[in-house]
Amino acid sequence: MSVSSSRGAAARPNGAPQTKVCQFKLVLLGESAVGKSSLVLRFVKGQFHEYQESTIGAAFLTQTVCLDDTTVKFEIWDTAGQERYHSLAPMYYRGAQAAIVVYDITNQDTFGRAKNWVKELQRQASPSIVIALAGNKSDLAAKRMVETEEAQAYADENHLLFMETSAKTAVNVNDIFLAIANKLPKSESVGGGAAGGGRRLADGEPPRAGGCCK
Amino acid sequence: MDEEYDAIVLGTGLKECILSGMLSVSGKKVLHIDRNKYYGGESASITPLEELFSKFNAPAPDETYGRGRDWNVDLIPKFLMANGLLVKLLIHTGVTRYLEFKSVEGSYVYKGGKISKVPVDQKEALASDLMGMFEKRRFRNFLIYVQDFQPEDTKTWKDFDPSTNNMQGLYDKFGLDKNTQDFTGHALALYLDDNYLQQPAIQTIQRIKLYSDSLARYGKSPYLYPMYGLGELPQGFARLSAIYGGTYMLDKPIDEIVLGEGGKVVGVRSGNEIAKCKQVYCDPSYVPDRVRKKAQVIRCICLLDHPIANTKDALSTQIIIPQKQVGRHSDIYVSVVSYTHQVAAKGWFIAMVSTTVETSDPESEIKPGLDLLGPIRQKFVSVTDYFEPIDDGSQSQIFISESYDATTHFETTCLDVLKIYKRGTDEDFDFSKVKVELGEEDQ
Ligand SMILES: Nc1nc2c(ncn2[C@@H]2O[C@H](COP(=O)(O)OP(=O)(O)OP(=O)(O)O)[C@@H](O)[C@H]2O)c(=O)[nH]1
Ligand SMILES: [Mg+2]
Repeated sequence: MSVSSSRGAAARPNGAPQTKVCQFKLVLLGESAVGKSSLVLRFVKGQFHEYQESTIGAAFLTQTVCLDDTTVKFEIWDTAGQERYHSLAPMYYRGAQAAIVVYDITNQDTFGRAKNWVKELQRQASPSIVIALAGNKSDLAAKRMVETEEAQAYADENHLLFMETSAKTAVNVNDIFLAIANKLPKSESVGGGAAGGGRRLADGEPPRAGGCCK
Repeated sequence: MDEEYDAIVLGTGLKECILSGMLSVSGKKVLHIDRNKYYGGESASITPLEELFSKFNAPAPDETYGRGRDWNVDLIPKFLMANGLLVKLLIHTGVTRYLEFKSVEGSYVYKGGKISKVPVDQKEALASDLMGMFEKRRFRNFLIYVQDFQPEDTKTWKDFDPSTNNMQGLYDKFGLDKNTQDFTGHALALYLDDNYLQQPAIQTIQRIKLYSDSLARYGKSPYLYPMYGLGELPQGFARLSAIYGGTYMLDKPIDEIVLGEGGKVVGVRSGNEIAKCKQVYCDPSYVPDRVRKKAQVIRCICLLDHPIANTKDALSTQIIIPQKQVGRHSDIYVSVVSYTHQVAAKGWFIAMVSTTVETSDPESEIKPGLDLLGPIRQKFVSVTDYFEPIDDGSQSQIFISESYDATTHFETTCLDVLKIYKRGTDEDFDFSKVKVELGEEDQ
């Protein structure tokens, strides 16, 4: 397994036979400043900024993950700050096949908020959505306010993937995306419950994130 | 909230969201507020279905309606012209990448109690049952004239100056009868009434061209409809605005628009908080004393468990009932979408019948439209006032959009937006300001 660069064609392991490419929409949710953008930046570009600005910025980034026989291309959506005043548009998680709900292990409130996001997703998003819970800033263990066991128990109860991550040290960042990639259905028949047969309008039409392999 | 903004936008209807996006993209610091806890205002799509029923005080839907959350029912029916202004806005701003669309399968027009497909090219014109044989040939010649017409090339005008001669003159030049004029003006050029006949022909020629260019883009009909309903459109533009730094607050009641010297706006107040600003952009509901009623629109949402007869079981259609066919001054519009657009549970269709109110009994005005639908499982009727601003906002710096009209497409919506943008900023929107790279989205 490997994570390849975001630009250009999907990288394939040397000499491997043609793999199928699956594209998925993945959304990030969580309280402001828990490290959503930092996780994406670490995953997509391998970088970390101590003074990451509150997100306004890219609409979505893409990153490719290679599994044994499949290349998984994530279309990663960041909230663009709309969640700050609880004003996130439902369109944001519409058709998403995966979500990472992030909290900050040094802040109990953000864990409570994360639970609300999980509820919201279970209510509103596609029934087959793969949800991962990320306890971020695990490098700040000294200031920990949310116990690993508590979060793990909650994740088990709700059938979520769970990892404690650090965008700063990169611990578990690639791993959580890989775990999601592994859990996503990669056959044509098991779409993300997303739109059937809609099209995007751009002139050079990008492939849509329909959940099925191309 | 206690900050200073270049512009505060009130209401998250489609027009306000497009404006908010354009202002943010142009580098303005924007605060966008809605009193509701959802996006879309009047242009929201209601979900789940239970919410729609309770909004109209109807008893809850039974289990035959399937899962409530599979429904997203528009309050205001509209389609996008594939080559129209809204699609241009969507593509230029990149908002199109958040949305998926389907072509509307057919466009029909009502004549003598039944409906026929709107002929749009020469082949269809010749096969159409709307016209007799000789009329077909005349209409064909007319279509060829319009298709070949180039505004810059006087040779294509064929001795008819369309900027000085009116549309009636052009119809007469081709000898088209009243029926043909009717579906041309109303189902192709999409006029609401017959005033266009006395206007320069160039306008109508260009509208017919828009229709056929739109048709050429995706086939079957010139119309597109977004998956999950029209409510996705305002959300898409809101996201654009947020990406360019716009701040969003839903569920925030506005208690006052604060005026300063000379009646110029200086901020808006919610409770004890005041956000300062140089300009306000809003829909009529936020400024009842600055708008006047222009007309009323009746809209009837009909839930059907079958497609519409005589449309070849189309999963989406538009039917236009030209005013004269039913002795009216304004057309009646019928639009149909279905479960294939993720707006209804499997097997269900949503038809909307709408028109501008002309009598004191609006419900009976839409009867010709309802009669086309066959058995209706559930009907929700609303009559809403159509407001326009009483001034252009230059003094107060409060720029107000018009309510959504009865047309079934977005051309008037976009024109209103572009007009307001120009009034507010003294310039036309510069599409090149939308950064091409938009982060790393483009691969
Ligand atoms: N120590 C530590 N700091 C982190 C980590 N991840 C993010 N941060 C810091 O936390 C702050 C907020 O991170 P962001 O990535 O901007 O958080 P966000 O969730 O995207 O915030 P919004 O965009 O406002 O919603 C920044 O100062 C980051 O440097 C981490 O794993 N460890
Ligand atoms: Mg962020």
